Amino acid sequence: MSKLTKILIVLLAVFSIVLSAIVVVYVANSDNYRQKSGALQTQYNAAVEKEKEAKRELEDRKKKYQQQEDALNNKMTSLQAEYTQIETKLKEAEREKAVLLQKVDSWTSITKDFYTTNDKQGQLLENTLEELNKAKAEKIKTTKELNETTNTLIEKMAIIETLESEKRRLIEAKAELQIQVDKYLQPIGRTVEAPVPVTPERTRVLPVMPRTKDIGLKGLVKQVDLKNSLARISLGSADGVKDGMKFHVTRGDEFICDISIIDVDAEESVGLLELVQQPPRANDSVSTNF
Amino acid sequence: MSPNGQVHGGKVVPADNVYTALLALAFFVVLAAAIFVAYKCQLQYGTIFEIPVAN
Repeated sequence: MSKLTKILIVLLAVFSIVLSAIVVVYVANSDNYRQKSGALQTQYNAAVEKEKEAKRELEDRKKKYQQQEDALNNKMTSLQAEYTQIETKLKEAEREKAVLLQKVDSWTSITKDFYTTNDKQGQLLENTLEELNKAKAEKIKTTKELNETTNTLIEKMAIIETLESEKRRLIEAKAELQIQVDKYLQPIGRTVEAPVPVTPERTRVLPVMPRTKDIGLKGLVKQVDLKNSLARISLGSADGVKDGMKFHVTRGDEFICDISIIDVDAEESVGLLELVQQPPRANDSVSTNF
Repeated sequence: MSPNGQVHGGKVVPADNVYTALLALAFFVVLAAAIFVAYKCQLQYGTIFEIPVAN
């Protein structure tokens, strides 16, 4: 055996062993691609199934979304209609509110005017009542004066009637005397001259000075306020009492004080105490003349 | 070390069998590697000589 053959045998053996070792190590360390492929296939199938499931779910969700969208669109449409209706109602309510506010303003002004008018009417009523009281007092006073005047007139008429009958009687007597005088004087050719009356005939009306008389009001002291020097008496405008009139207060024959009237009512009056000799009391006599 | 042997002193000396043993060792090593590779192919791919097809 040649040396070359020996060398080749040794090299062949060494390389065979080394290559075998390399192959064994490589194969031992190589991955199991079949298993990996199976796993990947399984994962792929699972992913495909998941994709189908996801697509189905997507479709379902799309359907649900579409249904919800339709429902929401319907609801939105109804809400839009309702909103329009409510907006219309709101505008109408605002318009009614404006009208009502205007009415309230007008009623407020009317009420204010009414209150003002009522106050004026109340004031006018008070004034009218006051005037009515005064008119009543004046009427009572006038009625009294009328009665007195009527009585005086009746007396004067009676006197005039008496005087006229006297005058007629005198005229008749004068005519009788004229006849008798003419019977005696005519035979001697004489007649009687027109008599000259002793009482001069009035040709014009002479002014007569007015006669005065006592007022003659008498009453009683009703209440006395010595602190303010005031007294209330039982005579009022119905009796003819007027502001500024002065009354004398007496108790029996004693002079107590004077009362100067400052406020007159229909049935009573109030006045200031003057010339106070003694403190006046209720039921003291008051009179305008002693 | 010749396989034909040598003649020393009229006596035939058998050839050295080291190279034969070396070849035998290399053969068994290669055979074992082939068996191991075939086993692994069978184990992993289910076939030895065919190309595996994906499922």
